[in-house]
Amino acid sequence: MANDSGDDVPLVEARDLAVRYPNGELALYNVSFTIKAPSFTAVIGPNGSGKSTLMKTILGLIHPTRGTVSVMGYDVVRESKEIRKLVRYVPQRDHIELSIPMRVKDIVLMGRLLKKPAPRFASSMDKKAAKEALARVNMLELWDRPFPELSGGQRQRVLVARALASSGPLLILDEPLAGTDAESQKLIVNALSDYQKNNNVSVIMVTHDLNPIHVLVQNVLLLRNTLLGVGTPCDVMDTELIKQVYGPTAQIVEHSGHKYCITHDSGVDRHD
Amino acid sequence: MIDIIDLILNTPFLQRALIAALLIAIIAATSGTFLVFRGLSFMTSGVAHAALGGAALGFFLQAIGLFPWFDPTLGAIVFAVLVAVITGYAGESGVAQKMEVAVGVSFALSMSIAVFLMYYIPPDKVLVLWGYLVGDILLMTNQDIVMLTITTILVAFIILLFKKEFVYVSVDYEGSLAHGLNARGYHYLILVISSIAIALATKAVGAILVYAILVAPAAASNETLKSVNKVMIGVFIIALVAQVIGIMTSFIVPVSPSAITGILAALSYIIALQIRKIREKVNEGIPEVIHQETTNIE
Ligand SMILES: Nc1ncnc2c1ncn2[C@@H]1O[C@H](COP(=O)(O)OP(=O)(O)OP(=O)(O)O)[C@@H](O)[C@H]1O
Ligand SMILES: [Mg+2]
Repeated sequence: MANDSGDDVPLVEARDLAVRYPNGELALYNVSFTIKAPSFTAVIGPNGSGKSTLMKTILGLIHPTRGTVSVMGYDVVRESKEIRKLVRYVPQRDHIELSIPMRVKDIVLMGRLLKKPAPRFASSMDKKAAKEALARVNMLELWDRPFPELSGGQRQRVLVARALASSGPLLILDEPLAGTDAESQKLIVNALSDYQKNNNVSVIMVTHDLNPIHVLVQNVLLLRNTLLGVGTPCDVMDTELIKQVYGPTAQIVEHSGHKYCITHDSGVDRHD
Repeated sequence: MIDIIDLILNTPFLQRALIAALLIAIIAATSGTFLVFRGLSFMTSGVAHAALGGAALGFFLQAIGLFPWFDPTLGAIVFAVLVAVITGYAGESGVAQKMEVAVGVSFALSMSIAVFLMYYIPPDKVLVLWGYLVGDILLMTNQDIVMLTITTILVAFIILLFKKEFVYVSVDYEGSLAHGLNARGYHYLILVISSIAIALATKAVGAILVYAILVAPAAASNETLKSVNKVMIGVFIIALVAQVIGIMTSFIVPVSPSAITGILAALSYIIALQIRKIREKVNEGIPEVIHQETTNIE
């Protein structure tokens, strides 16, 4: 299936995707979309709307109950091995076990060493890349600090650095902005967008808040267990759509040429 | 000092006990450390008691002459591995509660099998079987030592060889998988080799001591030490010292070495908790210092 003739192969293509967990929970249904590369994509939706499930399905960690998903032409069920060479993944923060004594450098190097064959020794190149990545999120001074002792926002930045230090044309980040303050958000978003533009890679990012990224993203997937909206941030800034996803209190306000989306999740989202 | 060396040189069972203490300290430093990292320390007790059930089945089958080739040690290993794999399977979805249930059920089942079969096993064999529970490091045979040595080398070799992989699987299972690591393979590998080691250690020194030595020192080190290597070394030292003191004490006062070792191991954990608390208090007092201490990037 996969071919490397380049530009026509979509980054991610989902067709009639449905995912049901073993406990019977139908996390996703009727999901079809195509994302082209290179691009910056945001996945938004309320808690339990299947955002993480969609990411895990794209990574081949969960298999579709129905339908298909492919990443750069590779099928997520049959060719997950190939896909895993192409992606870098940052899971939701609470999936990182903090009871193991890792230092910041160990976490960042992990992104590179996982992609190397055994015995996975860190070369000076690996260390250099890890330090550069940490510098991008302004965390280089914490190179030797125990990871579990960092604040939530600092840990999030280190995890983003782990993705930046690794290799592969697709970065998948599950809520990298969760629990971060405005300054951390800016750092992470800027680091990601700079990196995305300069390195010809694509980013898919789950978030609850379109605010900090709406000028960067080309695609937004609006999820509530099924795909309720897909398109540019402009397209999904639709009152009816936002109400369907976030409930009747969500609203979009137009003011002097800008659209503002107000939901409980995002606060106010200004959109030009 | 000379007296002690003289005593050791002239007492084969003491030599065996000290070698066993060393081997078990190595198992604790490798398997014990990673089981605690994986949040699976409670599995140790399930596996140790499964070994008891497996051995009981072995004695029973030999006693009734049905499968004379079914060695009790083999039974112990098979049961131990089975429990580890079932636990691992229950835990694969990442739900620790399911693992606890799996361990609890296996624990109850193995103990019931053991107690049930005890009535049908010759009395001299029942004594051996009790050894699986409250064994004595001073009563080890040469055969025990040989088997324990082989297992220890195997376990230590595999764990040191795949240390990074095991760490990654423990820290971020999904992330490891997503980056192409055979996380599931490593998950089961550590469960299987650890359960073999636990089964043979149980046969050698008894379930209670194995549980104390594999869990408490690893938990204690993990509370206080800040790198994986340091934790492993810390576990080794605590486990070895606790066992050697246990053995030595039993020469001075009439007491089971397992009991002393178990108490010392538990004590190490309590002390570690206190150290951690004190440290946290100190750090709360001077928050600036922590920020400045690590600016040594070239
Ligand atoms: N391992 C699992 N087993 C069973 N059901 C699950 C599992 N993981 C998620 N679910 C269910 O699937 C649905 C979607 O969950 P998912 O984690 O994908 O949501 P999400 O959009 O990422 O939410 P959040 O914003 O809270 O991270 C939820 O109803 C959840 O209860
Ligand atoms: Mg999620």
